[in-house]
Amino acid sequence: MNHTIGNRRIIGAVILSLAMCFTSCSRREKVLTFAVGGAPNELDFWEQLCENFQKETGIEVNLIRQPTDTDQRRQGLMVGLRAKKSDPDIFLMDVAWIGQFAASGWLEDLNSLPQSESIEVEKFFPTVVNLAGIYEGKLIALPIYVDGGLLYYRTDLLEKYGFRRPPETWKELIDMSTKVQARERATNPDFWGFVWQGAQYEGLVCNFLEFAVSNNGGLLLEDGKISVNTLENVQALQFMRDLICNYRISPPNTFTEMKEEEVRIFFQQGNALFERNWPYAWGNHQSESSPVKGKVGISPLPSFPGGRKASTLGGWHLGISIFSDSKKEAAQFLKYVTSYGIQKQLALNLGWNPGRVDIYEDPEVLSQLPHLKDLRVVFENAYARPNVPYYTQISEVLQRYINAVLAGKMEPVEALVKSEEEISEVVRNYAR
Amino acid sequence: MQDDTRRGLYNTPKEIAEAVVFALPAILFLVCFLLIPIVGTFVSSFYRDVSYLPREFIFFENFRRIATDSTYWRSVYFTVLFVACSVAIEMVIGIIFSLIMHEAFPGRGILRGIILVPWAIPVAVSARVWELIYNFHYGLANYIVTALGIAGSPINWFGNSVGAFFALVITDVWKTAPFVAIIILTGLQAIPEDLYAQAKVDGTQFMQRFWKITLPLLKPVIVVALLFRTIDALRVFDLVYVLTKGGPGGSTTSVSLYAFKTFVAGDFGYGSAISVTLFIIAWLFSILYIKSSRFLEEVK
Amino acid sequence: MKEERIKRVLLIVGIVLTVSFCLLPFIYMVMVSFAKNADFLSLSSRYVFTVNNYKEVLFNANLHFLDYLKNSAIVSVVSAGVAVLLGSLAAFSITRLPLPFKGLVLFVTLSMSMFPQVSLVGFLFSFMTKLGWINTYLALIFPYIAWVLPLSLWILVSYFASIPRDIDKQAFIDGCSSWQILFKVIWPLARPGIFSTFLLAFIFSFNEFMFALLFTTDHRTRTVPVGIALFQGLHGEIPWGTIMAAATVSTLPIIVLVLVFQRNIIQGLTRGAVKG
Repeated sequence: MNHTIGNRRIIGAVILSLAMCFTSCSRREKVLTFAVGGAPNELDFWEQLCENFQKETGIEVNLIRQPTDTDQRRQGLMVGLRAKKSDPDIFLMDVAWIGQFAASGWLEDLNSLPQSESIEVEKFFPTVVNLAGIYEGKLIALPIYVDGGLLYYRTDLLEKYGFRRPPETWKELIDMSTKVQARERATNPDFWGFVWQGAQYEGLVCNFLEFAVSNNGGLLLEDGKISVNTLENVQALQFMRDLICNYRISPPNTFTEMKEEEVRIFFQQGNALFERNWPYAWGNHQSESSPVKGKVGISPLPSFPGGRKASTLGGWHLGISIFSDSKKEAAQFLKYVTSYGIQKQLALNLGWNPGRVDIYEDPEVLSQLPHLKDLRVVFENAYARPNVPYYTQISEVLQRYINAVLAGKMEPVEALVKSEEEISEVVRNYAR
Repeated sequence: MQDDTRRGLYNTPKEIAEAVVFALPAILFLVCFLLIPIVGTFVSSFYRDVSYLPREFIFFENFRRIATDSTYWRSVYFTVLFVACSVAIEMVIGIIFSLIMHEAFPGRGILRGIILVPWAIPVAVSARVWELIYNFHYGLANYIVTALGIAGSPINWFGNSVGAFFALVITDVWKTAPFVAIIILTGLQAIPEDLYAQAKVDGTQFMQRFWKITLPLLKPVIVVALLFRTIDALRVFDLVYVLTKGGPGGSTTSVSLYAFKTFVAGDFGYGSAISVTLFIIAWLFSILYIKSSRFLEEVK
Repeated sequence: MKEERIKRVLLIVGIVLTVSFCLLPFIYMVMVSFAKNADFLSLSSRYVFTVNNYKEVLFNANLHFLDYLKNSAIVSVVSAGVAVLLGSLAAFSITRLPLPFKGLVLFVTLSMSMFPQVSLVGFLFSFMTKLGWINTYLALIFPYIAWVLPLSLWILVSYFASIPRDIDKQAFIDGCSSWQILFKVIWPLARPGIFSTFLLAFIFSFNEFMFALLFTTDHRTRTVPVGIALFQGLHGEIPWGTIMAAATVSTLPIIVLVLVFQRNIIQGLTRGAVKG
């Protein structure tokens, strides 16, 4: 029957065309694939770096441009890794989710790679490498860029009101803020003493941990159980709320709107005496168009009496995929990016805080970025969020309850009791 | 060959076989890429399937977890509120649009084309445009809002949950009200003109005619549009993913987005369980929809 | 008559409001795409015309915008084409041949078009991983065909059913096979319907977001919606001009299609969504 032949012919054509499409898109040359995200100027930097690397080694690097948003970056990498794709070979990971990647077995042991002895692990912040770069005894990533919470302050205002140095304790911060705020309000009704990140997102957990650790609290990880509900943490949380409701030195929109950028802009417009932010804000505050240019100082965050000055560790790490089909080349690239020369360029060109400690002593870097000297101490003492694969879920619970306390919907004790309950549920669901 | 004047009604084995051969490719595609995945999702909702844990059968554990998961219930709350607000507004604006398009005026075809534009372009792309429109410092929305004196100072649209919610509703209305209008227009065109002529003779006003004649006759088609939009809005994803990423503080996370985020966090079992609940609700609505749209009458 | 005058005024006001409601975001998009600074609406800024954003989008290979456009075009055309072909085979079977369980097939197909994508995406991801299709066109084309098939099938059934049976009966008596009847008799008669179906299937595939987000990893297969959605900058410095230029270039073909073929699209939509 002629129609069945016709049938076969058209089905054959469909299959043929799909097969052609399949072969044409699966063909690819063997090159190194490097996934990285960020602002246009950062991506331009990485592009230039890949070109230079190719010139030096002859290895072609295909740069995959990722967005800036950390969740979207994780998602992009997760797709390739969970699908066991050989691309990307090498990529940057946020310290907040490196634990998940490591536990999923997606990261190559850097020490098992050829010429691994030439990776200079000892040149990097030992605390940072120990907290995030090593998983179950294996070196799985190196810090490219380190971050930590800092206190920014207005040098001109402290001087104007007779304070000689930034606050050492939270009590001092409140006293200074109250005084300056009261006087400054006469000319600037929108003026506030202290701005920080209180909106419901990851940054709030970082802020909370800084208050808590500076009161000898924090997240205690013991025998796979995570405890939050401690007296120190309750006091810290009460203090955060008091900053808004009791001392009234932090604006009421702290818990609805304040994230990094809102806080940075608020301070940069000259509306605050103190600001808690990441090191990136420095460059913005000192830019040509900034109203507070030349009037800003940085110091470690204050502490409670008897507590230690704390800063939550952030930053990005470079690791190699276990599914990579060009691990030798990837190792070469990793060595290149973590070399002294490139780490120095990262500091000078992008204003980043390199993961290598020796850069913080480089005279050229220090003359351009004098604040790096102080940052080194901050990073050496940085407090790491729990390096567990289910950290995201824990953080989500904390964000919700801490924010509820700031909003006045819940008392600190109740919130921490409940978050501990929910966190143990998370641990139950996700811990081995 | 038999004399076949009532072709298609003879159920000879050869003819049935031919019918199956014609329908088979399409059915295969639907089975492989829609039906099997749904079944697969149901199956994996009974498993613990996390990238860093061994896969394990855990019965209803994932569903038990859903029952007490406050993030899940908040995503349900947002989704329901979003569906209610945006669909209601879309219906009103859609009816107004369709009344306009039903009138005879020069350039009516162009207007119908224009009205389709927001619907036809990718949500992910138009959401980026709206992201800029809602920009606190220099976006069009705050420019209009302050210029018209609706608000004294610029609104921080994405800074708090209320602003973010309305930003999403406005954008969704912009995108889908035209679609509603197109569907309702078909209903308007089916209303006989002489009904209006009679009413005019009786001396009823324009608005009276709308309430007494147009709306009651439009009811079936409005119900269809309403259900269709409800099903569509229940699974809202692209818009939220691009415009608010579910924030601030997770307040605009839809059920779809929550399931997706759970997948991306490495947990395919729990993500499947969440999407199963969404599937069941959407499917119930779609049964209602199919019944009210009189689709199956055509077949019989 | 007084009422007629009021009605005319209302109509004109309504048309103006409708047009500006629908088009204002696009006008803004085009304006930003040609602006040197995206903040031209703020008091401290003014509008400076430039075509640099377009130059960057079209000629900076690192942005991969043309790759996204190419991927989108290939994936949508192939998916829509195959869906129309398979859809018309099935629609022919349903309207002209004694397919068993016709009602059930149509009912199940229709309810499938209401599936939330998120309840498919997890399984499909694992499936595509097993096939090794992640980040290939196939990972998008196959699910897209299935995704647009229900709608295509329904529109085509509706068109085919409206063609009088006498015509194909005559062809059958003349000795044509079913195959010939479909492509030589029905297709030419249903050409507007086939075209509407293709347009809608194309638009749906072109707009699809979630599958493309999860089944592609880079510019070799990434489509326009995902490419534009993930395009952004650090700490507020979003390159709006470039994004809007990319958005303008990628929506322009769709806008032209819609304006030119609005009649076909509306017909297809109303036949697919509602039996008025």
